[in-house]
Amino acid sequence: MAFLPDGSLLVTEKSGILYHVQNGLKTEIKNVPPVYNRGQGGLLDIALHPNYVKNGWIYITFSNKEGVGSNTQLIRAKLENESLTQIQSLYKCEPNTAKSHHFGSRIIFDNEGYLYFSAGERGEHFVNPQDITRDNGKIYRLNDDGSIPKDNPFVGQPKAKEAVYSYGHRNPQGLVKNPITGVIWEHEHGPQGGDEINIIKKGANYGWPVVTYGIDYDNSIISEEKQKSGIEDPIYYWLPSIAPSGMTFVTSSKYPDWTGSLLVGSLKFQYLELLKLDGYKVISRQKVATNIGRLRNVTEGPDGYIYIGVEGKGILKIVPNK
Amino acid sequence: MITKINNINILFILAGLVFVSSAFIKPDTDASYILIADQQTDLQESIARGKEVYTEFCVQCHLATGKGNGDIVPPLDSSDWLEKKKTESIHAVKYGQAGEIIVNSKKYNGTMPPMGLSNEEIADVMNYVRNSWSNKHSKMITVAAVVQVKP
Repeated sequence: MAFLPDGSLLVTEKSGILYHVQNGLKTEIKNVPPVYNRGQGGLLDIALHPNYVKNGWIYITFSNKEGVGSNTQLIRAKLENESLTQIQSLYKCEPNTAKSHHFGSRIIFDNEGYLYFSAGERGEHFVNPQDITRDNGKIYRLNDDGSIPKDNPFVGQPKAKEAVYSYGHRNPQGLVKNPITGVIWEHEHGPQGGDEINIIKKGANYGWPVVTYGIDYDNSIISEEKQKSGIEDPIYYWLPSIAPSGMTFVTSSKYPDWTGSLLVGSLKFQYLELLKLDGYKVISRQKVATNIGRLRNVTEGPDGYIYIGVEGKGILKIVPNK
Repeated sequence: MITKINNINILFILAGLVFVSSAFIKPDTDASYILIADQQTDLQESIARGKEVYTEFCVQCHLATGKGNGDIVPPLDSSDWLEKKKTESIHAVKYGQAGEIIVNSKKYNGTMPPMGLSNEEIADVMNYVRNSWSNKHSKMITVAAVVQVKP
């Protein structure tokens, strides 16, 4: 979901459709690249350039559909007459694989104008996340035109994917900037019992699959270790896993009890979770919108209201009871 | 001499029996043997492929035990819904599932997205589910049956 300056909304649908929602009516945007709509693959995130009003750039991640298999790709484009134009590919994770899971992806800009996006490990957890010479299982940092910032942590290292900013991730589907501190917060799907919230630091290793709080889906042990020196510990992990998708900080005064809290969608348990924070510590959890459906995304609109994207239902607005 | 002749006769008779019995039984036995073996192999192969599909697409919610997850995700193991509603089951895997269903007397109202599986993969994963845990169905779900299920 991305709000345009006129208050209308751009919404990606996993199946590959990009909608422009205005006054409750949706228009399908033309010229959207074909996507690999299989398993967890599809059209993923959309974000506007912080200076969109001036330059008109829109950033999109999706599961690429060229050749055999697929992998996460980042493009930017402009919107003209309800059609994408001037499409530029900024990053394509390699290689493609036929696996259908762990593409990520979320896009966020920090206060300095750097773009961050996430790509999951594509089901190759022993191959990708810990190897900075390979894509996937990473958070990437780029300049807004797709070029690599000179001060990225692995620039100049042999064979390194120099766009990598942090590594050791499994499948991040939450990436936000704390509106007060400017720090980038991430959450990712772990194995059973290992979903994490992390604070993203330059060059840091988040441990997957060397350490994890979870176990594999066939109940086998992936790692006996939960913590290790040199590996960032999550600030929070969910037990049991909620399958987190989408994340936003509440800044608005529309929900006085929620201000400063974090909202996270749960795909698995089909509700919105409110996490009250004390700095980097989660102090309480509350279920909001119980049984609403598979919650893909949550964001705060420019009008201060919270909007949620629910599979099979659409975009819903949360209106506080007076 | 007598002994020798007898021996020859006996051998001849035995040979005749072998010939007669094999000529008599062979076509039937072999034909049905091949048929059963092929079905078993097809089903076993489909189940093996279906396990891969299950591990990639289903296990996160329905779990490795097929027991499902709380009030949201219904079980696949010993599910009366799967048992009674074959077409609806194929439909759910093919096009996704939304709305209330009752499984083993319990209401579920979750949403399962369509996975983008091919008809072959749908048949395979159905055969895997129908023959895992305590489930057992020797009659396999064919690709043709999946093709027939329309939105």
